[in-house]
Amino acid sequence: MAEYFRARNLPVPPELERTWLTDWRRWLAIAGTVAVLYVGLRITDIDTSRANPGYVGQILGQLLTPKWDVLFPQAATICEPPVVPCPPGNFWEAGLGLIIITIFMAVVATALALVVAVPLSFLGARNVMTGNPLATAIYAGVRVMFTVVRSIDILIVCIVGVVLFSIGNAAGVFAIAFHNIGVMGKLYSEAIEGIDAGPIEAITATGANRFQVIWTAVLPQIVNPFISLTIYRLDTNVRLAPVIGLVGAGGIGVLLFQYMNLLRYHEAGAIIFLIVLTVVVMDFLSAQVRKRLA
Amino acid sequence: MPTVLSIEHLTKVYPKGTRALDDVSLEISRGEFVVLIGLSGSGKSTLLRCLNGLVEPSGGRVVFDGQDVTAARGAELRRLRRRMGMIFQQFNLVKRASVFQNVLAGRLGYRSTWRTIVGRPDREDIELAFTNLQRVGILAKAYARADALSGGQQQRVGIARALMQRPDLMLADEPVASLDPATSHSVMKYLEEINHTDGITVICSLHFLSLARRYGTRVIALKDGKVAFDGKPQAIDERRFKEIYGEDAVEVEIGVGKTQAELLSEAEALVTAPDFAADR
Repeated sequence: MAEYFRARNLPVPPELERTWLTDWRRWLAIAGTVAVLYVGLRITDIDTSRANPGYVGQILGQLLTPKWDVLFPQAATICEPPVVPCPPGNFWEAGLGLIIITIFMAVVATALALVVAVPLSFLGARNVMTGNPLATAIYAGVRVMFTVVRSIDILIVCIVGVVLFSIGNAAGVFAIAFHNIGVMGKLYSEAIEGIDAGPIEAITATGANRFQVIWTAVLPQIVNPFISLTIYRLDTNVRLAPVIGLVGAGGIGVLLFQYMNLLRYHEAGAIIFLIVLTVVVMDFLSAQVRKRLA
Repeated sequence: MPTVLSIEHLTKVYPKGTRALDDVSLEISRGEFVVLIGLSGSGKSTLLRCLNGLVEPSGGRVVFDGQDVTAARGAELRRLRRRMGMIFQQFNLVKRASVFQNVLAGRLGYRSTWRTIVGRPDREDIELAFTNLQRVGILAKAYARADALSGGQQQRVGIARALMQRPDLMLADEPVASLDPATSHSVMKYLEEINHTDGITVICSLHFLSLARRYGTRVIALKDGKVAFDGKPQAIDERRFKEIYGEDAVEVEIGVGKTQAELLSEAEALVTAPDFAADR
Protein backbone atom coordinates (compact mmCIF):
# COMPACT_ATOMS: atom_id res chain seq x y z
CA MET A 1 0.00 0.00 0.00
CA ALA A 2 2.78 2.41 0.88
CA GLU A 3 4.20 1.71 -2.57
CA TYR A 4 1.24 3.53 -4.13
CA PHE A 5 2.35 6.75 -2.49
CA ARG A 6 6.07 6.21 -3.12
CA ALA A 7 5.48 5.46 -6.80
CA ARG A 8 3.72 8.82 -7.19
CA ASN A 9 6.30 10.62 -5.08
CA LEU A 10 3.69 11.50 -2.43
CA PRO A 11 4.26 11.59 1.32
CA VAL A 12 3.39 8.21 2.85
CA PRO A 13 0.79 8.24 5.66
CA PRO A 14 2.56 7.24 8.87
CA GLU A 15 0.04 4.48 9.68
CA LEU A 16 1.13 2.65 6.51
CA GLU A 17 4.70 2.56 7.69
CA ARG A 18 4.00 0.75 10.95
CA THR A 19 7.14 -1.02 11.99
CA TRP A 20 8.03 -3.77 14.38
CA LEU A 21 8.75 -1.09 16.97
CA THR A 22 5.25 0.37 17.09
CA ASP A 23 3.69 -3.11 17.13
CA TRP A 24 6.02 -4.08 19.91
CA ARG A 25 4.78 -1.13 22.01
CA ARG A 26 1.19 -2.09 21.38
CA TRP A 27 1.81 -5.64 22.56
CA LEU A 28 3.65 -4.34 25.60
CA ALA A 29 0.65 -2.19 26.56
CA ILE A 30 -1.70 -5.16 26.32
CA ALA A 31 0.65 -7.43 28.26
CA GLY A 32 1.13 -4.74 30.91
CA THR A 33 -2.61 -4.30 31.45
CA VAL A 34 -3.13 -8.05 31.78
CA ALA A 35 -0.22 -8.31 34.23
CA VAL A 36 -1.54 -5.47 36.41
CA LEU A 37 -5.01 -7.06 36.56
CA TYR A 38 -3.56 -10.49 37.39
CA VAL A 39 -1.31 -9.18 40.17
CA GLY A 40 -4.19 -7.06 41.45
CA LEU A 41 -6.50 -10.05 41.70
CA ARG A 42 -3.83 -12.10 43.51
CA ILE A 43 -2.82 -9.56 46.15
CA THR A 44 -6.29 -8.25 46.97
CA ASP A 45 -7.25 -11.79 47.90
CA ILE A 46 -10.87 -11.55 46.86
CA ASP A 47 -12.54 -14.29 48.85
CA THR A 48 -16.06 -15.20 47.78
CA SER A 49 -16.21 -18.43 49.77
CA ARG A 50 -18.00 -16.84 52.70
CA ALA A 51 -20.71 -15.25 50.57
CA ASN A 52 -24.17 -16.15 51.78
CA PRO A 53 -26.69 -15.71 49.00
CA GLY A 54 -29.56 -16.87 51.15
CA TYR A 55 -28.89 -14.21 53.77
CA VAL A 56 -28.48 -11.54 51.12
CA GLY A 57 -31.82 -12.50 49.68
CA GLN A 58 -33.40 -12.30 53.12
CA ILE A 59 -32.01 -8.79 53.75
CA LEU A 60 -32.96 -7.60 50.28
CA GLY A 61 -36.46 -8.85 50.99
CA GLN A 62 -36.55 -6.82 54.18
CA LEU A 63 -35.17 -3.70 52.48
CA LEU A 64 -37.78 -4.01 49.77
CA THR A 65 -40.63 -4.30 52.27
CA PRO A 66 -40.08 -0.94 53.98
CA LYS A 67 -41.62 -0.09 57.32
CA TRP A 68 -42.89 3.42 56.64
CA ASP A 69 -43.54 4.13 60.35
CA VAL A 70 -39.96 5.27 60.69
CA LEU A 71 -40.63 8.26 58.46
CA PHE A 72 -43.24 9.71 60.82
CA PRO A 73 -43.30 10.49 64.54
CA GLN A 74 -44.65 7.66 66.71
CA ALA A 75 -46.43 7.57 70.03
CA ALA A 76 -44.03 6.85 72.88
CA THR A 77 -43.46 3.15 73.58
CA ILE A 78 -41.19 1.26 75.85
CA CYS A 79 -37.71 1.39 74.48
CA GLU A 80 -34.25 0.61 75.69
CA PRO A 81 -31.51 2.12 73.57
CA PRO A 82 -29.36 0.95 72.06
CA VAL A 83 -30.85 -2.54 72.10
CA VAL A 84 -34.40 -1.44 71.33
CA PRO A 85 -34.21 2.00 69.66
CA CYS A 86 -36.79 4.56 70.65
CA PRO A 87 -39.13 5.37 67.78
CA PRO A 88 -38.91 8.98 66.57
CA GLY A 89 -40.76 11.15 69.05
CA ASN A 90 -41.36 14.32 67.01
CA PHE A 91 -41.50 15.23 63.34
CA TRP A 92 -37.89 16.44 63.06
CA GLU A 93 -36.52 13.20 64.51
CA ALA A 94 -38.45 11.04 62.06
CA GLY A 95 -37.33 10.25 58.52
CA LEU A 96 -39.40 12.86 56.75
CA GLY A 97 -38.23 15.66 59.00
CA LEU A 98 -34.65 14.46 58.79
CA ILE A 99 -34.60 14.41 54.98
CA ILE A 100 -35.84 18.01 55.01
CA ILE A 101 -33.07 18.89 57.45
CA THR A 102 -30.58 17.06 55.26
CA ILE A 103 -31.66 18.98 52.13
CA PHE A 104 -31.29 22.26 54.00
CA MET A 105 -27.87 21.22 55.29
CA ALA A 106 -26.84 20.94 51.65
CA VAL A 107 -28.47 24.28 50.82
CA VAL A 108 -26.74 26.09 53.69
CA ALA A 109 -23.40 24.45 52.90
CA THR A 110 -23.69 25.36 49.21
CA ALA A 111 -24.50 28.96 50.13
CA LEU A 112 -21.50 29.14 52.48
CA ALA A 113 -19.21 27.71 49.83
CA LEU A 114 -20.63 30.13 47.25
CA VAL A 115 -19.87 33.16 49.41
CA VAL A 116 -16.22 32.13 49.69
CA ALA A 117 -15.75 30.63 46.22
CA VAL A 118 -17.17 33.47 44.09
CA PRO A 119 -14.70 36.19 45.12
CA LEU A 120 -11.80 33.70 45.10
CA SER A 121 -12.74 32.45 41.62
CA PHE A 122 -11.89 35.85 40.12
CA LEU A 123 -8.44 35.62 41.70
CA GLY A 124 -8.15 32.12 40.20
CA ALA A 125 -9.04 33.11 36.62
CA ARG A 126 -6.06 33.55 34.31
CA ASN A 127 -7.73 36.14 32.07
CA VAL A 128 -8.54 38.39 35.04
CA MET A 129 -5.19 38.02 36.76
CA THR A 130 -2.89 39.30 34.05
CA GLY A 131 -0.60 42.25 33.77
CA ASN A 132 1.89 41.95 36.58
CA PRO A 133 3.83 39.17 38.32
CA LEU A 134 1.95 39.65 41.60
CA ALA A 135 -1.39 38.98 39.91
CA THR A 136 0.03 35.85 38.27
CA ALA A 137 1.39 34.65 41.62
CA ILE A 138 -2.00 35.16 43.29
CA TYR A 139 -3.66 33.27 40.43
CA ALA A 140 -1.31 30.31 40.84
CA GLY A 141 -1.69 30.34 44.64
CA VAL A 142 -5.50 30.38 44.51
CA ARG A 143 -5.61 27.57 41.95
CA VAL A 144 -3.28 25.38 44.02
CA MET A 145 -5.45 26.10 47.08
CA PHE A 146 -8.58 25.01 45.18
CA THR A 147 -6.87 21.79 44.12
CA VAL A 148 -5.64 20.97 47.64
CA VAL A 149 -9.05 21.70 49.22
CA ARG A 150 -10.79 19.66 46.54
CA SER A 151 -8.49 16.69 46.84
CA ILE A 152 -9.33 16.08 50.52
CA ASP A 153 -12.21 13.64 50.39
CA ILE A 154 -15.41 14.84 51.98
CA LEU A 155 -15.53 11.98 54.51
CA ILE A 156 -12.10 12.96 55.79
CA VAL A 157 -13.25 16.57 56.19
CA CYS A 158 -16.30 15.19 58.02
CA ILE A 159 -14.09 13.39 60.53
CA VAL A 160 -12.22 16.65 61.11
CA GLY A 161 -15.59 18.43 61.38
CA VAL A 162 -16.82 15.97 63.98
CA VAL A 163 -13.68 16.62 66.02
CA LEU A 164 -14.21 20.40 65.69
CA PHE A 165 -17.96 20.63 66.19
CA SER A 166 -18.71 17.24 67.82
CA ILE A 167 -21.29 14.89 66.34
CA GLY A 168 -24.13 16.67 64.60
CA ASN A 169 -25.24 18.76 61.64
CA ALA A 170 -22.60 21.46 62.11
CA ALA A 171 -19.86 19.01 61.22
CA GLY A 172 -21.65 17.96 58.05
CA VAL A 173 -22.38 21.51 56.91
CA PHE A 174 -18.76 22.45 57.55
CA ALA A 175 -17.48 19.48 55.58
CA ILE A 176 -19.72 20.01 52.54
CA ALA A 177 -18.99 23.75 52.52
CA PHE A 178 -15.23 23.24 52.83
CA HIS A 179 -15.04 20.64 50.09
CA ASN A 180 -17.22 22.73 47.79
CA ILE A 181 -15.04 25.82 48.10
CA GLY A 182 -12.46 23.82 46.17
CA VAL A 183 -14.87 22.37 43.63
CA MET A 184 -16.99 25.47 43.05
CA GLY A 185 -13.95 27.74 43.02
CA LYS A 186 -12.43 25.69 40.21
CA LEU A 187 -15.69 25.52 38.22
CA TYR A 188 -16.34 29.27 38.57
CA SER A 189 -12.73 30.12 37.62
CA GLU A 190 -13.01 28.01 34.50
CA ALA A 191 -16.33 29.67 33.62
CA ILE A 192 -14.63 33.06 33.88
CA GLU A 193 -11.72 31.84 31.74
CA GLY A 194 -14.19 30.69 29.10
CA ILE A 195 -15.76 34.10 28.42
CA ASP A 196 -15.33 36.22 25.30
CA ALA A 197 -12.23 38.40 25.78
CA GLY A 198 -13.33 41.03 23.24
CA PRO A 199 -15.56 43.09 25.57
CA ILE A 200 -12.78 43.10 28.20
CA GLU A 201 -10.42 44.68 25.69
CA ALA A 202 -13.08 47.15 24.52
CA ILE A 203 -14.05 48.27 28.02
CA THR A 204 -10.38 48.57 29.02
CA ALA A 205 -9.88 50.81 25.99
CA THR A 206 -12.57 53.22 27.22
CA GLY A 207 -10.35 54.08 30.20
CA ALA A 208 -12.25 51.98 32.75
CA ASN A 209 -10.37 50.62 35.76
CA ARG A 210 -9.95 46.91 36.48
CA PHE A 211 -12.97 46.72 38.73
CA GLN A 212 -15.20 48.51 36.19
CA VAL A 213 -13.97 46.14 33.49
CA ILE A 214 -14.97 43.12 35.59
CA TRP A 215 -18.29 44.68 36.49
CA THR A 216 -19.23 45.69 32.95
CA ALA A 217 -17.55 43.16 30.66
CA VAL A 218 -17.14 40.02 32.79
CA LEU A 219 -20.17 39.87 35.10
CA PRO A 220 -22.90 39.88 32.41
CA GLN A 221 -21.16 36.97 30.74
CA ILE A 222 -20.86 34.77 33.84
CA VAL A 223 -24.16 35.22 35.68
CA ASN A 224 -25.95 32.36 33.91
CA PRO A 225 -23.02 29.93 33.98
CA PHE A 226 -22.57 30.64 37.71
CA ILE A 227 -26.24 30.00 38.49
CA SER A 228 -26.13 26.82 36.45
CA LEU A 229 -22.97 25.55 38.19
CA THR A 230 -24.37 26.42 41.62
CA ILE A 231 -27.55 24.43 40.97
CA TYR A 232 -25.46 21.52 39.74
CA ARG A 233 -23.40 21.60 42.93
CA LEU A 234 -26.53 21.91 45.08
CA ASP A 235 -27.84 18.78 43.40
CA THR A 236 -24.55 16.97 44.08
CA ASN A 237 -24.50 18.16 47.70
CA VAL A 238 -28.01 16.91 48.37
CA ARG A 239 -26.72 13.56 47.12
CA LEU A 240 -23.70 13.75 49.43
CA ALA A 241 -25.50 14.93 52.55
CA PRO A 242 -27.15 11.60 53.50
CA VAL A 243 -23.82 9.73 53.20
CA ILE A 244 -21.90 11.86 55.69
CA GLY A 245 -24.14 10.57 58.48
CA LEU A 246 -21.87 7.50 58.30
CA VAL A 247 -19.24 9.33 60.35
CA GLY A 248 -21.79 11.07 62.56
CA ALA A 249 -21.81 14.34 60.64
CA GLY A 250 -25.58 14.73 60.87
CA GLY A 251 -28.53 14.43 58.58
CA ILE A 252 -30.73 11.49 57.73
CA GLY A 253 -27.65 9.32 57.25
CA VAL A 254 -27.21 9.05 61.03
CA LEU A 255 -30.64 7.48 61.33
CA LEU A 256 -30.00 5.15 58.40
CA PHE A 257 -26.74 3.85 59.80
CA GLN A 258 -28.32 3.43 63.22
CA TYR A 259 -30.95 1.10 61.81
CA MET A 260 -28.39 -0.67 59.61
CA ASN A 261 -26.18 -1.39 62.63
CA LEU A 262 -29.17 -2.73 64.51
CA LEU A 263 -29.92 -4.97 61.52
CA ARG A 264 -33.39 -3.42 61.21
CA TYR A 265 -33.61 -3.54 57.46
CA HIS A 266 -37.33 -2.81 57.08
CA GLU A 267 -36.76 0.64 58.59
CA ALA A 268 -33.48 1.11 56.66
CA GLY A 269 -35.33 0.27 53.46
CA ALA A 270 -37.86 3.04 54.06
CA ILE A 271 -35.07 5.56 54.65
CA ILE A 272 -33.11 4.46 51.58
CA PHE A 273 -36.26 4.78 49.49
CA LEU A 274 -36.78 8.32 50.77
CA ILE A 275 -33.16 9.27 49.98
CA VAL A 276 -33.35 7.82 46.47
CA LEU A 277 -36.62 9.65 45.83
CA THR A 278 -35.11 12.94 47.00
CA VAL A 279 -32.01 12.54 44.85
CA VAL A 280 -34.04 11.62 41.76
CA VAL A 281 -36.31 14.65 42.23
CA MET A 282 -33.34 16.97 42.79
CA ASP A 283 -31.56 15.58 39.77
CA PHE A 284 -34.62 16.15 37.59
CA LEU A 285 -35.27 19.68 38.87
CA SER A 286 -31.61 20.64 38.53
CA ALA A 287 -31.46 19.35 34.95
CA GLN A 288 -34.65 21.24 34.03
CA VAL A 289 -33.48 24.54 35.49
CA ARG A 290 -30.02 24.26 33.93
CA LYS A 291 -31.48 23.41 30.54
CA ARG A 292 -33.42 26.67 30.60
CA LEU A 293 -30.33 28.65 31.63
CA ALA A 294 -28.10 27.36 28.87
CA MET B 1 -2.36 71.31 11.54
CA PRO B 2 -0.80 70.60 14.91
CA THR B 3 0.53 67.15 15.73
CA VAL B 4 -1.85 65.13 17.88
CA LEU B 5 0.15 61.93 18.04
CA SER B 6 3.80 61.24 17.63
CA ILE B 7 5.20 57.76 17.50
CA GLU B 8 8.93 57.60 18.16
CA HIS B 9 11.03 54.52 17.33
CA LEU B 10 8.25 52.18 18.46
CA THR B 11 9.31 48.54 18.74
CA LYS B 12 7.37 45.56 20.00
CA VAL B 13 8.82 42.09 20.42
CA TYR B 14 6.37 39.52 21.78
CA PRO B 15 7.61 37.02 24.40
CA LYS B 16 7.81 34.27 21.77
CA GLY B 17 10.23 36.40 19.74
CA THR B 18 7.91 37.79 17.06
CA ARG B 19 9.04 41.27 16.08
CA ALA B 20 5.65 42.88 15.44
CA LEU B 21 6.89 46.47 15.26
CA ASP B 22 10.39 47.45 14.25
CA ASP B 23 11.44 51.05 14.85
CA VAL B 24 8.23 52.75 13.67
CA SER B 25 8.25 56.55 13.75
CA LEU B 26 5.23 58.59 12.62
CA GLU B 27 3.67 61.99 13.18
CA ILE B 28 -0.11 62.22 12.97
CA SER B 29 -1.75 65.63 12.65
CA ARG B 30 -5.09 66.62 14.08
CA GLY B 31 -7.99 65.91 11.72
CA GLU B 32 -6.23 63.35 9.53
CA PHE B 33 -7.98 60.18 8.37
CA VAL B 34 -5.11 57.71 8.43
CA VAL B 35 -5.59 54.30 6.89
CA LEU B 36 -3.21 51.54 7.95
CA ILE B 37 -2.71 48.81 5.38
CA GLY B 38 -0.49 45.77 5.18
CA LEU B 39 -0.65 41.98 5.17
CA SER B 40 -2.01 40.04 8.14
CA GLY B 41 0.73 39.94 10.74
CA SER B 42 2.39 43.11 9.46
CA GLY B 43 1.87 44.82 12.84
CA LYS B 44 -1.27 46.93 12.24
CA SER B 45 -3.17 45.64 15.28
CA THR B 46 -0.12 45.84 17.50
CA LEU B 47 0.53 49.43 16.43
CA LEU B 48 -3.06 50.47 17.18
CA ARG B 49 -2.95 48.76 20.58
CA CYS B 50 0.35 50.40 21.49
CA LEU B 51 -1.26 53.80 20.91
CA ASN B 52 -3.74 53.38 23.79
CA GLY B 53 -1.58 51.17 25.96
CA LEU B 54 -3.50 47.92 25.49
CA VAL B 55 -0.14 46.50 24.40
CA GLU B 56 3.03 47.66 26.09
CA PRO B 57 5.78 48.33 23.55
CA SER B 58 9.28 46.94 24.08
CA GLY B 59 10.89 50.21 23.09
CA GLY B 60 10.17 53.71 21.87
CA ARG B 61 7.51 56.22 22.85
CA VAL B 62 3.99 57.23 21.96
CA VAL B 63 3.21 60.86 22.74
CA PHE B 64 -0.45 61.82 22.60
CA ASP B 65 -1.25 65.53 22.84
CA GLY B 66 2.02 66.19 24.66
CA GLN B 67 1.67 63.32 27.13
CA ASP B 68 3.75 60.15 27.07
CA VAL B 69 1.35 57.20 26.79
CA THR B 70 4.09 54.58 27.12
CA ALA B 71 5.27 55.98 30.47
CA ALA B 72 1.75 56.46 31.86
CA ARG B 73 0.47 53.97 34.42
CA GLY B 74 -2.75 53.43 36.36
CA ALA B 75 -5.09 56.39 36.59
CA GLU B 76 -2.92 58.53 34.31
CA LEU B 77 -3.06 55.92 31.54
CA ARG B 78 -6.83 55.56 31.97
CA ARG B 79 -7.30 59.32 31.62
CA LEU B 80 -5.36 59.20 28.34
CA ARG B 81 -7.29 56.16 27.14
CA ARG B 82 -10.66 57.78 27.60
CA ARG B 83 -9.68 60.42 25.04
CA MET B 84 -9.02 57.69 22.47
CA GLY B 85 -12.03 55.75 21.23
CA MET B 86 -11.52 52.30 19.77
CA ILE B 87 -13.62 50.03 17.59
CA PHE B 88 -12.87 46.42 16.71
CA GLN B 89 -13.24 43.87 13.95
CA GLN B 90 -15.44 41.66 16.16
CA PHE B 91 -17.28 44.74 17.57
CA ASN B 92 -16.54 43.49 21.13
CA LEU B 93 -19.91 44.40 22.55
CA VAL B 94 -21.16 42.81 25.76
CA LYS B 95 -23.60 40.53 23.93
CA ARG B 96 -25.98 39.83 26.80
CA ALA B 97 -26.36 43.52 27.65
CA SER B 98 -28.65 45.95 25.86
CA VAL B 99 -27.44 48.31 23.16
CA PHE B 100 -28.08 51.20 25.55
CA GLN B 101 -25.96 49.65 28.32
CA ASN B 102 -23.19 48.96 25.84
CA VAL B 103 -23.17 52.57 24.69
CA LEU B 104 -23.20 53.88 28.27
CA ALA B 105 -20.13 51.72 29.00
CA GLY B 106 -18.16 54.18 26.85
CA ARG B 107 -18.55 56.63 29.72
CA LEU B 108 -16.89 54.39 32.34
CA GLY B 109 -13.60 56.26 32.22
CA TYR B 110 -15.40 59.35 33.48
CA ARG B 111 -17.37 57.53 36.17
CA SER B 112 -16.38 56.43 39.64
CA THR B 113 -16.25 52.75 40.52
CA TRP B 114 -19.02 53.36 43.03
CA ARG B 115 -21.36 54.78 40.39
CA THR B 116 -20.66 51.75 38.20
CA ILE B 117 -21.85 49.42 40.97
CA VAL B 118 -24.89 51.49 41.90
CA GLY B 119 -25.69 51.51 38.20
CA ARG B 120 -27.27 54.94 38.01
CA PRO B 121 -25.81 56.85 35.08
CA ASP B 122 -25.85 60.66 35.12
CA ARG B 123 -28.65 62.41 33.32
CA GLU B 124 -25.97 63.93 31.12
CA ASP B 125 -24.60 60.48 30.21
CA ILE B 126 -28.08 59.23 29.30
CA GLU B 127 -28.69 62.20 27.04
CA LEU B 128 -25.30 61.76 25.42
CA ALA B 129 -26.06 58.04 24.86
CA PHE B 130 -29.30 58.83 23.06
CA THR B 131 -27.63 61.55 21.00
CA ASN B 132 -24.94 59.12 19.87
CA LEU B 133 -27.42 56.30 19.21
CA GLN B 134 -29.36 58.68 17.02
CA ARG B 135 -26.20 59.73 15.25
CA VAL B 136 -25.41 56.19 14.19
CA GLY B 137 -29.08 55.62 13.35
CA ILE B 138 -29.79 52.89 15.87
CA LEU B 139 -32.06 54.64 18.35
CA ALA B 140 -34.98 52.28 17.63
CA LYS B 141 -32.86 49.33 18.81
CA ALA B 142 -31.71 50.96 22.06
CA TYR B 143 -33.20 48.31 24.35
CA ALA B 144 -32.53 45.28 22.17
CA ARG B 145 -29.89 42.84 23.31
CA ALA B 146 -26.61 43.56 21.52
CA ASP B 147 -26.41 40.08 20.00
CA ALA B 148 -29.83 40.52 18.39
CA LEU B 149 -28.34 43.09 15.99
CA SER B 150 -26.72 42.50 12.62
CA GLY B 151 -22.97 42.94 12.16
CA GLY B 152 -23.26 46.41 10.66
CA GLN B 153 -25.58 47.53 13.43
CA GLN B 154 -23.25 46.11 16.10
CA GLN B 155 -20.34 48.01 14.64
CA ARG B 156 -22.37 51.21 14.73
CA VAL B 157 -23.10 50.54 18.43
CA GLY B 158 -19.31 50.20 18.77
CA ILE B 159 -18.87 53.63 17.18
CA ALA B 160 -21.54 55.13 19.48
CA ARG B 161 -19.77 53.61 22.50
CA ALA B 162 -16.47 55.14 21.41
CA LEU B 163 -18.14 58.52 20.77
CA MET B 164 -19.37 58.51 24.39
CA GLN B 165 -15.75 59.11 25.40
CA ARG B 166 -15.80 62.41 23.45
CA PRO B 167 -12.51 61.27 21.95
CA ASP B 168 -9.87 63.32 20.18
CA LEU B 169 -8.66 60.23 18.39
CA MET B 170 -10.52 57.22 17.01
CA LEU B 171 -8.66 53.94 16.61
CA ALA B 172 -10.34 51.40 14.36
CA ASP B 173 -8.92 47.87 14.12
CA GLU B 174 -10.25 46.30 10.88
CA PRO B 175 -13.71 47.75 11.57
CA VAL B 176 -15.26 46.37 8.38
CA ALA B 177 -13.38 43.09 7.90
CA SER B 178 -16.37 41.05 9.14
CA LEU B 179 -18.94 42.97 7.08
CA ASP B 180 -20.23 42.75 3.52
CA PRO B 181 -19.27 45.48 0.99
CA ALA B 182 -22.33 47.74 1.25
CA THR B 183 -22.39 47.54 5.04
CA SER B 184 -18.64 48.21 5.04
CA HIS B 185 -19.21 51.47 3.21
CA SER B 186 -22.02 52.46 5.57
CA VAL B 187 -19.73 51.96 8.60
CA MET B 188 -16.85 53.78 6.89
CA LYS B 189 -19.19 56.68 6.13
CA TYR B 190 -19.90 57.09 9.85
CA LEU B 191 -16.16 57.21 10.54
CA GLU B 192 -15.78 59.78 7.77
CA GLU B 193 -18.63 61.79 9.23
CA ILE B 194 -17.14 61.99 12.74
CA ASN B 195 -13.81 62.87 11.15
CA HIS B 196 -15.33 65.75 9.17
CA THR B 197 -17.95 67.02 11.63
CA ASP B 198 -16.21 66.55 14.98
CA GLY B 199 -12.67 66.84 13.72
CA ILE B 200 -11.79 63.55 15.39
CA THR B 201 -8.53 62.14 14.07
CA VAL B 202 -9.09 58.62 12.75
CA ILE B 203 -6.54 55.84 12.48
CA CYS B 204 -8.15 52.88 10.80
CA SER B 205 -6.67 49.60 9.59
CA LEU B 206 -8.22 48.15 6.45
CA HIS B 207 -7.75 45.23 4.10
CA PHE B 208 -9.18 46.76 0.94
CA LEU B 209 -7.11 49.32 -0.88
CA SER B 210 -10.25 50.63 -2.59
CA LEU B 211 -11.66 51.60 0.82
CA ALA B 212 -8.34 53.14 1.77
CA ARG B 213 -8.35 55.28 -1.40
CA ARG B 214 -11.95 56.30 -0.90
CA TYR B 215 -11.79 57.32 2.79
CA GLY B 216 -8.16 57.94 3.73
CA THR B 217 -6.42 61.31 3.60
CA ARG B 218 -3.19 59.47 4.23
CA VAL B 219 -2.18 55.86 3.87
CA ILE B 220 0.51 54.18 5.95
CA ALA B 221 1.58 50.70 4.92
CA LEU B 222 3.33 48.34 7.30
CA LYS B 223 5.46 45.45 6.18
CA ASP B 224 7.13 43.13 8.68
CA GLY B 225 6.67 45.75 11.39
CA LYS B 226 8.30 48.56 9.40
CA VAL B 227 6.73 51.50 7.58
CA ALA B 228 6.77 50.53 3.90
CA PHE B 229 4.79 53.48 2.55
CA ASP B 230 3.52 56.75 3.95
CA GLY B 231 1.72 59.22 1.75
CA LYS B 232 -1.36 60.15 -0.22
CA PRO B 233 -3.67 57.25 -1.15
CA GLN B 234 -3.44 58.22 -4.84
CA ALA B 235 0.32 57.65 -4.77
CA ILE B 236 -0.08 53.89 -4.40
CA ASP B 237 0.53 52.51 -7.90
CA GLU B 238 1.16 48.99 -9.15
CA ARG B 239 4.83 49.03 -8.09
CA ARG B 240 4.14 50.37 -4.60
CA PHE B 241 1.32 47.85 -4.21
CA LYS B 242 3.69 44.95 -4.97
CA GLU B 243 6.24 46.36 -2.52
CA ILE B 244 3.66 46.34 0.24
CA TYR B 245 1.81 43.11 -0.47
CA GLY B 246 4.49 41.06 -2.24
CA GLU B 247 5.18 40.17 -5.89
CA ASP B 248 2.33 37.64 -6.22
CA ALA B 249 -0.38 39.92 -4.89
CA VAL B 250 -3.19 41.14 -7.12
CA GLU B 251 -5.42 43.97 -6.06
CA VAL B 252 -9.03 42.92 -5.50
CA GLU B 253 -11.92 45.32 -5.26
CA ILE B 254 -14.40 45.17 -2.43
CA GLY B 255 -17.78 44.10 -3.79
CA VAL B 256 -16.69 42.39 -7.00
CA GLY B 257 -18.98 43.02 -9.96
CA LYS B 258 -20.27 46.33 -8.71
CA THR B 259 -18.84 49.77 -9.18
CA GLN B 260 -17.90 51.82 -6.19
CA ALA B 261 -20.69 54.26 -7.05
CA GLU B 262 -23.23 51.44 -6.88
CA LEU B 263 -21.91 50.26 -3.53
CA LEU B 264 -21.93 53.78 -2.17
CA SER B 265 -25.52 54.34 -3.18
CA GLU B 266 -26.42 51.00 -1.56
CA ALA B 267 -24.66 52.13 1.57
CA GLU B 268 -26.47 55.44 1.37
CA ALA B 269 -29.76 53.56 1.25
CA LEU B 270 -28.74 51.62 4.36
CA VAL B 271 -27.78 54.74 6.25
CA THR B 272 -30.92 56.66 5.38
CA ALA B 273 -33.40 53.77 5.67
CA PRO B 274 -35.86 54.73 8.41
CA ASP B 275 -35.77 51.50 10.39
CA PHE B 276 -32.55 49.93 9.11
CA ALA B 277 -34.45 46.74 8.42
CA ALA B 278 -32.46 46.27 5.24
CA ASP B 279 -29.18 46.38 7.08
CA ARG B 280 -27.48 43.02 7.21
